[in-house]
Amino acid sequence: MATTIITGRDITISLASTNYAAQTLSITLVNAPVITTYQALTGKQYKHIDDQWTLNMNLLADWGATSSLFEAMWTAFTSAPNTALSFTMVTATGASFAGTAFPVAPTAGGTAPDAQTDTWAMLCASTPVLTIT
Amino acid sequence: MTATSISADVRGALATALATPLASVYTSVPETVIPPAVVIVPDSPYLESNIIGKDQVRVKINMTVSAAVAYNNNAGALDQLEVLIITLIGLMPVGYIVGDVSRPTIISVGASNLLSADLSVSTYYTQVA
Repeated sequence: MATTIITGRDITISLASTNYAAQTLSITLVNAPVITTYQALTGKQYKHIDDQWTLNMNLLADWGATSSLFEAMWTAFTSAPNTALSFTMVTATGASFAGTAFPVAPTAGGTAPDAQTDTWAMLCASTPVLTIT
Repeated sequence: MTATSISADVRGALATALATPLASVYTSVPETVIPPAVVIVPDSPYLESNIIGKDQVRVKINMTVSAAVAYNNNAGALDQLEVLIITLIGLMPVGYIVGDVSRPTIISVGASNLLSADLSVSTYYTQVA
């Protein structure tokens, strides 16, 4: 087959139905599986018992901007921290991951010479759904 | 920053913001540098694509703001250059990341010697049609 290369520039991210690609430097959707290991008489046995997905985002802070992502996240975290926000991440045309993730408290502040940035690790409420078209 | 051209909306806007009675400000290298002068020139890497998505072209622009004064005597020129650079940092508009100032060096332009130092500046730019 031909070599396919997709890059971060192919990604789009919508959080609570708003596209925030313009503020996002990087994003990953990561699974941390919980696999229990049993030492049986016949050797090691493995049982996959749980998954914890996390939506990791590295962002440029936009406090004070119109339709600010950071202000929206702050509001979501302070008003409804137990309500997961819907997200849709398209890694490339035709591959869309949809799920819900809990809001986090944005970090405020930064280093003098640099742009204010923040890294969010948002726990997903369930396994994201991959839609291939 | 959402704009239509880097020339007008980044370098031009930066030159306007940095306008000072202390020096002439140029958006690119002029044919003749008359000190004291401030020249906005591209840094390396000049344009960085470090934001996800490609529905719009978004880049980080790295620039160097070169400040130059006449090098007639060392103490006076260095003091004039320091005043100029401190003034430029104070005039830097919102949305521009201000980096370090390089060690002043003597450069020869035509028949004159200039004492010059470079200030690193960067900003984010989104191209609109």
